[in-house]
Amino acid sequence: MGLTRRDFIKASAAAAAFAAVGVPVVRPKGVDAAETGITWGKAPCRYCGVGCSVLVGVKGGKIVSTKGDPAGPVNKGLNCIKGYFLSKALYGKDRLTKPLIRKGNKMVEASWDEALNLIASKYGKAIAEHGPDSVAMYGSGQWTVQEGYAASKLMKGGIGTNNLEPNARLCMASAVVAFMNTFGSDEPMGCYDDLDLGDTYILWGANMAEAHPVLFSRLIDNKLKHPKVRLIDIATRRTRTTKMADEYIAMRPQGDLAALNAIIHVILRDKLYDGAFIKQHVSFKRGKENAPYGLKDKEAFNETPADVKNLSFDEYKELMKKFTPQWGEKISGIPAKKIEELALVYTDKSRKVNSLWTMGVNQHSRGVWVNNLIYNLHLLTGKICKPGENPLSLTGQPSACGTAREVGTFAHRLPSDMVVMNEAHRKKTAGIWGIDPNKIPAKVGLHTMEMFRAIDRNELKCIWIQCTNPFQSLPNLSRLRKAAEARKAFIVVSDIYPTRSTELADVILPSASWVEKEGVFGNTERRTQQWFKMIDAPGQAKEDVWQLIEFAKRMGLGHLFPYSEKGLHREIWEEYRKFTIGSGKDLAPYEAYTKVRGLRWPVKPDGKETRWRYTEADDPYVKKGEGIKFYKAPGNKVNVWFRPYEPPAESPDKDYPFWFCTGRLLEHWHTGTMTGRVPELKRAVSGATIELHPEDAKRLGIRNRDQVRITSRRGSIVLPAEINGRSTPEKGNVFTTFFDETKLINELCIDAFDPLSKEPDFKKCAVKVKKA
Amino acid sequence: MPVSGIVLTCTATSAEGIALQLAELDGVEVHGVLPDGKIVAVVEADTVDGEVAVVTGLQEMEGVISVQLAYHNFEELEAEQL
Repeated sequence: MGLTRRDFIKASAAAAAFAAVGVPVVRPKGVDAAETGITWGKAPCRYCGVGCSVLVGVKGGKIVSTKGDPAGPVNKGLNCIKGYFLSKALYGKDRLTKPLIRKGNKMVEASWDEALNLIASKYGKAIAEHGPDSVAMYGSGQWTVQEGYAASKLMKGGIGTNNLEPNARLCMASAVVAFMNTFGSDEPMGCYDDLDLGDTYILWGANMAEAHPVLFSRLIDNKLKHPKVRLIDIATRRTRTTKMADEYIAMRPQGDLAALNAIIHVILRDKLYDGAFIKQHVSFKRGKENAPYGLKDKEAFNETPADVKNLSFDEYKELMKKFTPQWGEKISGIPAKKIEELALVYTDKSRKVNSLWTMGVNQHSRGVWVNNLIYNLHLLTGKICKPGENPLSLTGQPSACGTAREVGTFAHRLPSDMVVMNEAHRKKTAGIWGIDPNKIPAKVGLHTMEMFRAIDRNELKCIWIQCTNPFQSLPNLSRLRKAAEARKAFIVVSDIYPTRSTELADVILPSASWVEKEGVFGNTERRTQQWFKMIDAPGQAKEDVWQLIEFAKRMGLGHLFPYSEKGLHREIWEEYRKFTIGSGKDLAPYEAYTKVRGLRWPVKPDGKETRWRYTEADDPYVKKGEGIKFYKAPGNKVNVWFRPYEPPAESPDKDYPFWFCTGRLLEHWHTGTMTGRVPELKRAVSGATIELHPEDAKRLGIRNRDQVRITSRRGSIVLPAEINGRSTPEKGNVFTTFFDETKLINELCIDAFDPLSKEPDFKKCAVKVKKA
Repeated sequence: MPVSGIVLTCTATSAEGIALQLAELDGVEVHGVLPDGKIVAVVEADTVDGEVAVVTGLQEMEGVISVQLAYHNFEELEAEQL
């Protein structure tokens, strides 16, 4: 009996899997024939910030197959389970295909012309009557580089307002501020190679197995190959990550601030630091303390140079004396003995130590401080800028780095580490954009929380939301949704599916997604990846950059976008690239990216990438003989900050006795608009649950799957209990996810934010829990 | 019917036992067990829905560290099944 075409496809599937684990196989004759008619193209994955490379197979104008890209250095031929949904996320039945305009309570189909003319007239009227700061745009770390760049040029250089924000404010802002105030430049010195080359990995509040599965697999591969590799999971919840860790250390919420200070105390007390490294590279600083939590509207807090005090090493040591391990234990719940042990791990000269963290540290009312304290550990011990030994801040969105951070779509930023407050930066930007430098305001625009609060205060008249779902994802959600429902602002939402945000829109615009358009993403490890359009978007859906430029034309700003139709993405890239040359964040010509699976910046003059920044061995900005040079920091010295413990905005008490924490699951991504569409994903994990510790559940008479009411000072919700499931929070803590659009979990969350980064704390507020 | 090629990473001591269990499952073919605890398998089901149900189950098996996807072909599916 001969082999069928199906047999060959199965042979092809097995061959791809063998190749990914390094076992060479000969593809049987006939395999290639079975794939006849499929055209393959490369693209970074659409979902998280890891930036896996995917091969997309197209036949007859449809995606028919996907592969983990064997040539992709990030994922080496393997994708996580979300790979099953990559193409399906584009083919949901309720895909938006036509512009819709609100007529009373109904959304009515409209032409692009009608919709764009309406938006332009509303924006024009608001600007004429209330000035450019009465309008805003809220974008995304899922925007391509080109989309973010066009949005920044339109808002900052065209309309003349800095009211431009990315949803990355909710996930990466604390990491950004700490990179800037420590190293003088955003984004990490290390890269994913450190996951293969190190031997000690300390996770601070990160469930990497579920949130960054492909990176976690790299780490586990390293561990399985090298028995020396040790993984320490410091967290408030036992997860899939914990199962693979050598050690789990339970910590109280906000305990990281105390534990890190106590570890540093031990390092200083026992003189375990690297004195030579400190002398050459480090300055000591003390910033502003007793910071507020942003709970009041327009609560201003800044740490200006005048607020920063220079410290000597001795003064710093003196200040740190009070943070003893016993003090650390009292606040963090981590035993003093364990704090002493962690200090020894961090300073062990025979170990290559890495710290890894993500939302647990960033979504934190003192998130910048925790980032600072982690850097302190690496700077005091000199365990940084070495292959296999670095701190690495993990990101959550595919282009949080490439677009939100590098292009700079925050209210205070301009491309390549520049800021609107700096006159020279505005001038450089205006020069490249061909505009009057006075057009870019020096005043920082509204950050995300203030942007949406400003709608409630009737101060913001128009907002355009692209590629994100704020009316599900923002904290203290009720206030913001009520303001939108009261039609206090004109709201435009561009998306690919109906969401909890499109339901509040005055205009809904259908967008093209992923390989329905051309674009560039930048991932966690500074890797810039390009892809071409492979299929047509459905119906009249159009890519976001087209929408922005068509709007600009109607606002009389078309001259800012003089690109050809055919060369649009390439021409925007080449213009944007001018910002990066000589900045230490140098990008390559567009053509280079079309041929490779990404390059890590700074890209050298010879076209090669940089794996480890600030190092003589690898970074083109560091000369021979200079060793490590933090060339973006003032005087080439990086900052070790004194950052004390301060409590969270809200802690459990008699009335609300539980900590409430929110997060993600392996099978769902963010608000679920691209994974919730997929029926089987919903089936695997049907809806949000509330995870409880078994002893807490027993005490409250709650059994698995019982309906449980969770109430905070801001809202109340009923969810089924999950006890002894995949993850278990520590006693006194409950955990839930925010993907479920039928449960607006974030109505419970407090809108407290970090005073420096303005990033909300989605991980800590107080709730009461009872059987419903 | 969609077809996928997957790699299971297992703790080294449990890989062979897991491979035997996989062989009993409908729609799963074990193609190889590697000395480092990895298993190469092919999954097929009537729908992608079915494939994911299988893979989700595999992920929860004792001794399985992770399940990763190398290849996915779903060209024979009708648009509605997508």
